[in-house]
Amino acid sequence: MDPENVAAAQQGDALALDRLLDELAPYVRRLCARIVPAAADDATQESLLAIFRGLPSLRAPEAIITWVRSVTVRTAIRLARQHDLEVAAEGTLLGRHASSLEGLVDIDDALARLPVSQRVVLVLRTREGLSEQEIATTLGIPAGTVKSRLHRARAAFREVWES
Amino acid sequence: MNDPVALPDIDPIDRLTILAAALPGAAVRQRRIAAPFDAVWRVIADLEHATPRYEPDVAHVRVIEQRGELLRLLVQDTAGREETMDARLRPGWCLMQSATVVIAFAARRLGSETLLAHLEHRRAHTPLPRWSQPHDRRAALAKIDQELHTIERLATHHGR
Repeated sequence: MDPENVAAAQQGDALALDRLLDELAPYVRRLCARIVPAAADDATQESLLAIFRGLPSLRAPEAIITWVRSVTVRTAIRLARQHDLEVAAEGTLLGRHASSLEGLVDIDDALARLPVSQRVVLVLRTREGLSEQEIATTLGIPAGTVKSRLHRARAAFREVWES
Repeated sequence: MNDPVALPDIDPIDRLTILAAALPGAAVRQRRIAAPFDAVWRVIADLEHATPRYEPDVAHVRVIEQRGELLRLLVQDTAGREETMDARLRPGWCLMQSATVVIAFAARRLGSETLLAHLEHRRAHTPLPRWSQPHDRRAALAKIDQELHTIERLATHHGR
């Protein structure tokens, strides 16, 4: 990520914004697809809107990826919770989980069946390779909370995977 | 460990919405055009000939440099003033920028029709060129509506 291009984008250079969008969109989409697979497109668009609207507030252009990750993960969590509430309101959450176990084909499928708070820490740790401290910074929670969530998430993942 | 596959490009209309979020004060309108995507995009991509037909204050546009999707344009307004613009042009996406203005078009196929969005933005701290006026927001939106209407006529050949 070229800090000069980021700085130009922050100044309202539209072609720099265009290039920045090319660079950020695949990363934002990948995070959203892992955290909220059922609404990945909406989460991607909302995240990118929040990122580009908030770009002038970014103080250190070289820290853009950390900031983008934080904005994206928080947006994806909000949409994932919203989506789970909607599914639960329709009374299909339990049925969906039970019936889909047979079709469990990969790790992303298993991750998608965990509660959002556990799924996020596990995605960031195992799929994105972040340290516990980086996850804590991304989510704005203490490192100790990350550690205990990871512990519960791994146990829940094993249960889903082995069932 | 499989990565989520198929990470498609952002739809051009969504892309324009994101760009507008980063350009406070940008005026954006869209119109469902009763012409196929290819016909609409033929008009947008023909910068030298079509632009003066839908943008009333532009007299001439000349492409002075081209490297793939990236272009440099020389634009002359009806008062004879010239300005260079850097542009990126590809199917469904056209972004042009000078020292004073940003202009963008985005198009999405809608069956046999096309959704076309158009953005105009005056860059801060720059003198206002004649062809970017009027800067009143309501008038700016009306101007964009008029341009989209004209583009529709050009794309459906009624404007010939």
